[in-house]
Amino acid sequence: MPHRSFHASRPFLILGLLLAGWLLVPTLVKRVLGISFFELQAPVSVAASHVRDLQDFWSLRTRTRHDLIAAGRDLARLNASYEVTLQQTETLRREVARLEALLRIPTLPGYRSEPARVARRDFNAWWQRLTIRKGRNYGITVGSPVIFSGGVVGKVAEVHAYTAVVDLISSPTLRIAATLEGDSRPLSFQGGNNPAFGPARGIVDYVPTDASASEVMPRRIVTSGLGGVFPAGLFIGEITRLETSTDGLFKTGEVRLDSRLAELTEVTVLVPERAD
Amino acid sequence: MRRTIVFFFTQFLLWGLVSQVNHELTPWGIALFMGGLFVGFSALHFERREALIGAFAAGFLHDVGTPLPFGTHAVVFATAVIFIQHVRHRLNRHEGLITVMVILIANLGLFLAVSAVAVRLLPDAGGLTSRVFSDLIASQLTLALVAPWFLALQAKALEIAGVAAPAEPGPRSYP
Repeated sequence: MPHRSFHASRPFLILGLLLAGWLLVPTLVKRVLGISFFELQAPVSVAASHVRDLQDFWSLRTRTRHDLIAAGRDLARLNASYEVTLQQTETLRREVARLEALLRIPTLPGYRSEPARVARRDFNAWWQRLTIRKGRNYGITVGSPVIFSGGVVGKVAEVHAYTAVVDLISSPTLRIAATLEGDSRPLSFQGGNNPAFGPARGIVDYVPTDASASEVMPRRIVTSGLGGVFPAGLFIGEITRLETSTDGLFKTGEVRLDSRLAELTEVTVLVPERAD
Repeated sequence: MRRTIVFFFTQFLLWGLVSQVNHELTPWGIALFMGGLFVGFSALHFERREALIGAFAAGFLHDVGTPLPFGTHAVVFATAVIFIQHVRHRLNRHEGLITVMVILIANLGLFLAVSAVAVRLLPDAGGLTSRVFSDLIASQLTLALVAPWFLALQAKALEIAGVAAPAEPGPRSYP
């Protein structure tokens, strides 16, 4: 009888030994395993995204010449307006540099823009991540901010040989220092619960009690620039609900994020420029 | 060894397909979890050592690129293999429907186990019940549809490589 009970529990003993063994495996070995498996997967994701790009290319080839002429005309108008904006930016940049020299204040950190195609989106109930088609080969570093035309996308969480993983702002694992647009008081933004069949949402904490927001009159929040990761003034989302926190000192609320975050195909990584 | 490599190749193919489907599903706010399909065949037909190697390999495929500690999926998948192998002698594992049922139950258990680990990431997991429930329903439905195809693919791949799982007698009867 004892022999039979030992025989029955033997698999669980093996499992226990396996678990204990895994806990004792050196971190270096786990890290090498992790990198190996990631680099094994990366070509699949990258190849699939190239195939999607090719599909887009061939679907665009079916457009008529008239469509192309109209698109070219729109693009020319956009380019003209961007040219003006570039000139204004350059003037402002020179003015900032002059004032910094005059007041002897340290120069604000600069960023190099690195556009990257999205190879894979991995959004589930627990985390929301993107794999992009640029990594160490383009000098991308862990912690670099990632943006798109609609504002903040997230932050680089992992960098590999030729891909990088980005934590989205809708992911509960990401927290950002933010402010209400037109207000300098800092508040805390964190990715929240993402419902099925609906846009991603976030949570704000430490909102000043005099602030108000609703679905009808939402308040925009932008990055504060505190913490040194994100430049100040980048759009995050709109607060649609605010209520007083349990301690009564601040307000907490819900943030509506850009619905395009779930369909991103291209993002820009802001790689911090080194002082040297 | 050859069987393990061929089996890993089929798992890798499944991982690639599931990740691409999940990529396309992001605008709808739904994600599929197919963990049961990665461990079901090996747990029912392979020896313990081979099945555990398969479970760890599949787990590592799931672990990379996630915020969970590396090895979380691997350990959970290995646990599922041990549980399935503990009861497999009572099942007619060559019956397709039974295999699919085992995979569905394993997938449910794995989904809940991974959720229990991942819940620590969330500031307020209470509001997420509907999302978790809809992901689970979508995963189980898809699994029920694709499991027969994938099991046949795995069996055929092993057969082509000349390393098919050994045919074993049906359920053992106890007095």
